[in-house]
Amino acid sequence: MEHKSFVVVDAIPLLNQLPHHVANAIVVIVLLMIIAYLGTRGLRKDTKRYFVPEAKLTFRTAGEMIVEGILKLVKDNMGPRGPEFMMIIGALALFIFTSNVLGLIPGFHSPTETLNTTAACAITVFCFTHYYGIREHGIKYLKQFTGPIIWLAPLMIPIELIGHLVRPVSLSIRLFGNIFGDHYVAGVVFGLVPFLLPLPMMVLGLFVAVVQTLVFLLLSMAYFAGALEGHEHEEQEG
Amino acid sequence: MTMTLPGEDKGKLIRQIASYSTLGLEMGLSVAVGAIIGYYLDKWLDTGPWFLIIFLIFGAIAGFRSLYRALKRLERENKEDR
Repeated sequence: MEHKSFVVVDAIPLLNQLPHHVANAIVVIVLLMIIAYLGTRGLRKDTKRYFVPEAKLTFRTAGEMIVEGILKLVKDNMGPRGPEFMMIIGALALFIFTSNVLGLIPGFHSPTETLNTTAACAITVFCFTHYYGIREHGIKYLKQFTGPIIWLAPLMIPIELIGHLVRPVSLSIRLFGNIFGDHYVAGVVFGLVPFLLPLPMMVLGLFVAVVQTLVFLLLSMAYFAGALEGHEHEEQEG
Repeated sequence: MTMTLPGEDKGKLIRQIASYSTLGLEMGLSVAVGAIIGYYLDKWLDTGPWFLIIFLIFGAIAGFRSLYRALKRLERENKEDR
C-alpha cells in the first residue's frame, strides 16, 4: 500500500520545494489576502461609500460579518479593552480556522496538522502576553512571578515559570493533536471502507476545526486578560 | 445578575467548557515541562538526578496550582451568578 498521495502544492513551482505544511500555510495566507483585497477593493475608490453598508451579500459584507463576529467574541471575553487585541486575535482566528478547514479539501493538508505551525502560533501568543504585561505594569509585572511573600520567592519562581511555560506547550499540542488525530482517523477509515463510512468522520472534522479554533482563541484571550490584570488580582485570589 | 439571556448563557457555557477542559492536559504537561527543565539542567551542570527530582516536584505543584486557581475562579463565577 506504499503510494504517494497527490498534494496540490506539489504541482506549483517554487512551493513544491518547501515542506507541505509551509507550502499550505502560504496557500492559506494568499487565500486570505485575496479575500481581504476583494472585500476592500470598492472602498478605496471613493470614501463616501465607506459608511453605507451594501444591500446584497458581497465580499465586503461577508468580510464585515466575519470581522464583527470576531470583534463581538473579543468584547464578550475581555470587556471594553478587548478591541486592543483585535489585531492578534483576529489574525489568529482567520489563519487557524482557514488552516483547519483547508485539510478537509482533498489535495490539501492542514498547516495546523504539524506541530511546527501550531507552535509558531502559540509562541507568538506567549511573547505577546508578556509584552502586553510589561507594557501595562512596567517592571512591576515581574513581581507576579515572586508571589505574595518575598522570602518564598525562590520556591515560587520555578513554579510560576513552569506554569507559564506550560501554556504555549499545551496550546500547540492541543491544536496539533486534535487536527492530526482527526485526519489520521479519517484516513484510516477511508482506507478500510471508502464508501459512506468516512462521512461521520468528516463531519467530526468540521466540528473539531471550529471548536479547536474557538478554544485556542478563548485561551489566548484569557492569557492576555491575565497579563493585564497583573499581580493585584493574584493576591485577591489567595 | 438576575436574568440572563439564552444567547449570553450559551456563550458563557462554551467559555467555561473551553477553559475547564484544558485542565487535564495542563496538569499533565506541567509535570512533563518540569521534568524536561530538570533533565537539561542536570545534563548542563552534571549534577546527578537532583534537579530532575526537584523540578519534577515543582512541576507537580505547578499543575495543582493551576487546578486550584481554576477552582477559585469557578467559585467566584458561581457567586456572581447568584
